[in-house]
Amino acid sequence: MSDNLNIKPPFRRLRGYAFDPSLSLRIDTALINSIIYQVPWEEGLKPGPIGEYIEVVDYDPTTGKYYKPVDLNNINIVARDGVDPGENNPQFHQQMVYAVAMTTIKNFESALGRKVLWASQRVADKHIYEEYVQRIRLYPHALRHANAYYSPLKKSILFGYFESMPANSTLHMPNSYVFTCLSHDIITHEVTHAILDGMYPGYAQPSNADVLAFHEAFSDIVALFQHFTFPEVLKHQISKTRGDLAAQNLLGELAQEFGSAIGNYGSLRDAIGSIDPVTKKWVKAEPTGQEYATIMEPHARGSILVSAVFEAFLTIYKTRVKDLLRIATGGTGVLPQGELHPDLVNRLASEASKAAGHVLSMCMRALDYCPPVDITFGDYLRAVITADYDLVVEDSRNYRLAFIDAFRRRGIYPKGIKTFSVESMGLRPGSFVSDDTKQLFKIIVRFLRDYRNKVIYETDRKKVYNISKEYIGGSRAFLKRKVQGLHNRITFKFEDSFEFEQLTGLIFSDVFTNLGIRESNAYKDGLAGASFQIQNLRLVSRVGPEGNQVNQIGFALVQRSGIVIYQGKFKEHYTPGSNRNRPKTQFEMYGGCTMIFDLDTLELKYVISKPLLDMSLIKQKKHQIDRERAEQQYQFQQEAGMMELNEHSLYFSGGLKNDINEPFAFLHQ
Amino acid sequence: MSEKITQAKVRMYRMGTGDCFIVKFYAAEKEKFTMMIDCGVWKRSAAELRPYMEDLKKHVNGKVDLLIVTHEHVDHVSVFDLCKDVFIKDFEVKKVWMAWTEDDSLTEITIWKKDHGEKKKALKQAVEKLNAIVGSTGFQNSIRLSASGMDALKAKESFVETLTGFAELHMGNDPQNYKGLLEGMRVVKEEIGKGKIEFLYPGDIIKEIPGLEGLRLYIMGPPRDWDSIALEAGGEGESYRHNNELKGVDAFAASVLSTPDNLSSILPFDERFETVDPQDMDLYTNSKNSWRKIEEDWLMSAGSLALRVNSMTNNQSLVLAIEAEDSKKVMLFPGDAEFGSWASWHKIDWKGLVGPNKIHYTQDLLNRTVFYKIAHHMSHNGTAQRQGLEMMNDPELTAMATLDYNSIAAAWKNTMPNRAMLKELLVRTKGRVIIMNEDNLFYDFNEREPLTDKIKAARMKMTTQELKNFQKNLEIGEKDRYFELTVNL
Repeated sequence: MSDNLNIKPPFRRLRGYAFDPSLSLRIDTALINSIIYQVPWEEGLKPGPIGEYIEVVDYDPTTGKYYKPVDLNNINIVARDGVDPGENNPQFHQQMVYAVAMTTIKNFESALGRKVLWASQRVADKHIYEEYVQRIRLYPHALRHANAYYSPLKKSILFGYFESMPANSTLHMPNSYVFTCLSHDIITHEVTHAILDGMYPGYAQPSNADVLAFHEAFSDIVALFQHFTFPEVLKHQISKTRGDLAAQNLLGELAQEFGSAIGNYGSLRDAIGSIDPVTKKWVKAEPTGQEYATIMEPHARGSILVSAVFEAFLTIYKTRVKDLLRIATGGTGVLPQGELHPDLVNRLASEASKAAGHVLSMCMRALDYCPPVDITFGDYLRAVITADYDLVVEDSRNYRLAFIDAFRRRGIYPKGIKTFSVESMGLRPGSFVSDDTKQLFKIIVRFLRDYRNKVIYETDRKKVYNISKEYIGGSRAFLKRKVQGLHNRITFKFEDSFEFEQLTGLIFSDVFTNLGIRESNAYKDGLAGASFQIQNLRLVSRVGPEGNQVNQIGFALVQRSGIVIYQGKFKEHYTPGSNRNRPKTQFEMYGGCTMIFDLDTLELKYVISKPLLDMSLIKQKKHQIDRERAEQQYQFQQEAGMMELNEHSLYFSGGLKNDINEPFAFLHQ
Repeated sequence: MSEKITQAKVRMYRMGTGDCFIVKFYAAEKEKFTMMIDCGVWKRSAAELRPYMEDLKKHVNGKVDLLIVTHEHVDHVSVFDLCKDVFIKDFEVKKVWMAWTEDDSLTEITIWKKDHGEKKKALKQAVEKLNAIVGSTGFQNSIRLSASGMDALKAKESFVETLTGFAELHMGNDPQNYKGLLEGMRVVKEEIGKGKIEFLYPGDIIKEIPGLEGLRLYIMGPPRDWDSIALEAGGEGESYRHNNELKGVDAFAASVLSTPDNLSSILPFDERFETVDPQDMDLYTNSKNSWRKIEEDWLMSAGSLALRVNSMTNNQSLVLAIEAEDSKKVMLFPGDAEFGSWASWHKIDWKGLVGPNKIHYTQDLLNRTVFYKIAHHMSHNGTAQRQGLEMMNDPELTAMATLDYNSIAAAWKNTMPNRAMLKELLVRTKGRVIIMNEDNLFYDFNEREPLTDKIKAARMKMTTQELKNFQKNLEIGEKDRYFELTVNL
């Protein structure tokens, strides 16, 4: 017994709102609105709270006031599961953002099987280049606006608050404040933006209509399904429902209700369904199949993805509860009179929450199989299927089919897929490569294995960051001797390799100078190579439900080419960074690829590429940038995308290419 | 009865983005009535404007029968102030029309104006505060440490510039001394038009004006209810762009305007939660964390406030439709009305007047419109789509736009002209769109197709006779100072 006293508790229990404070005022939801968030126990959590991942700074620039930081280790607070929920206590606000942010981080970590790292801070000093950011900063009271956003520049999330002026004035008292930092969905949404930025900084570049929409939609999907993983919030609603026991209406309505009090955040979920004006009942929206081809405004487009994933979830849930319904109704499908049996309610809620958890993990794991730039919804679908296929060999409940079908019904097709099946949708293992290249890959993979051994049991995130950085860039300091990094190895090993260029769609030959690609300044000892960046070196180490292990390692290569467009057509190249005052028709196109290696077979497993090169020409050993893609991207950024910007962005942010003035702030205006 | 008006000559002065119109009405060859609508421009000096105003004075012979001031924005009233002497000396204005929202004797308006004025003041203060922060060396030094710092700084500066533009639009060049009324508007209210101002309401129909025999004037805006004024854009198919609802600007404005004395009214929490313990503040104040400071971020909400204030003022525009009794032709002068105003026109009670097939009379008026002064310099929400442009079916439709890229607020270029609206307009008018200045205007975002070429191409759709008439009816003034279009009624 006494031994147990030295063991740290696994969780810190913190009370918080399940929805947002407005539901505490409604008698039918007041009971379920307070739940207990179980967040990992952080040793040495400081007042703020300031932990390993986040620091809550409660300074309000609109009033110039600082609020006393909450000390979650205070015995009185620990003993009562955190500060009492209440809108009028800023210390509860601090606790709420901490609890929800940590819950989100924990979900990502368990889905991805590794530590979450934030995007590093890029500094102007070229010798330092970037600095490790241990904690993201959360400002619970930073704006006087119905808005909250993640600032990539400040690595901070700014939450706003405002005096309420809701459509339904019975829910909020006039002149009372609404705090975005008290909404589970808003906090999760913003933290997800930050995590995504840490993995794929390239997704802040709107190179096609899907990119910004994806950022929004993905963040919303995480918020929505994380919400559904709390069985408490489902139970109450399920017991209330009579009739449609499959409860798809209920879940859809609930999904939208989560978003209702928070303005534009809820709009992403409008595509799920709506309240019928006549019957006043919620009805699911039926897709026409044209959505993907016709809807371009970022939020509306994002809502296509949200509704597709939601439909997949409903299908999965329905399969999961079929047997329960048969048991409950003796096979008739007709329920006896009276209230639902609480056991049945419990079982249904737990199935819904389990399904939500699975969908959430599938969506998160898919990130490892996405291209580092220029993502489309089709790419994401392939990533979802591939990630799941690798981990769960036997898809006994047809999860993958549910996803494919829901996407197909909205007209989302990955490019270059001939048939619409689970088999064709999964990414192909790296296409056929010669033995020479295979040997080179083996050398690379052995090096990466070394990396794996260094980081796999490393719990210190900063060390993980530093090890990764040194394995990418090479260093003396950490490895005690000068060791070539991954970057250097790729430059050396694949210099002038057509095969590698075919695989990645990027340029590693001497011709790079003619293709608008900068010379790498990483090597001062005479070696001239094309500049490219390695991002997001990571372990993909997971155990599937059947006990099978996924033992992979992945990283992304990103390269940019300077392009001048004249009259809508490709004209010439320029070298990025060579002149500051660039003409209006000049832009940088990013290409990139994600490479996944299997550490067991030492082989290249997947390549997910967004080529810079024209792939039909490289087969003939001819290097040329994909001009069609360049022209399309330019056209999108200059014209098509502009048409979809909201008034605020048009006036204040100077168009799509300007991603500096807080890209995510403007999206929510 | 031979005195009925048969013709109008619409003269658009080309001073820069902003409205200044003289409309002369004729019965056969005989000049009968002179109407003046607005007199403002975006940022030009009095010296530059003087020749235009002298031309105007000569043109009207120092006498205007009716002056209409649509709304209180710099680009509609500034010249009354800048060239005040032109209008004070040897200049007679017989009557002035303004929107009911300018009637300061009504309590509801004084209350609303006070509130609206507060928002303008908040906008001004937000600009000042932002300028102070973004211009400070501390801020500049810390932002420069970041890799994209210079770009970020530029972006912030351009934001402040746009915001300054909006502040000046509402408060003139000298926001410091803004007293709650633009000087140009004050000159009209207290000097030029003193004692001659009439305030009009939507649904007013004015007939039998001496000198305007055979014409009826319909007042369509501003809407009678504040909600419509507050509505700047409709949904899909309604205005030329979907716009999100803007909320919370009231709280923002109150917060910007707070002073140490009244700070308590905007504090969300009890004093007992506050801290001044340096240890609690260290993370934020520590200089090594200065790149994470958020002093300026909340002030960026002033962007939403600016758009709100702007739209609400635009929607207070006096909207006038002039109908010829016999030919049924209509001329439409909507000021800068935005979607909320356009939508409200279709709910006006026209006291028994209905169009053919019982369509609403507003729709009928739009169906018969042959001259349209394009609202809000061709912006996206200046012209309603389904309830506006798509109802203008008359084959004679000709439009005028007061847009000039040589003199315009920088950020307006992103929304004016709106391409979708322009495209529709070119089709409907067969290229009879007269823009104040086509220089540097392009039909597409790539700046490939000059608008001039596109207009020329659109004009090919006219029959030889139509083109001949159009060319005959359009006159370019001496030294390019104006365009004058003859409209046969």
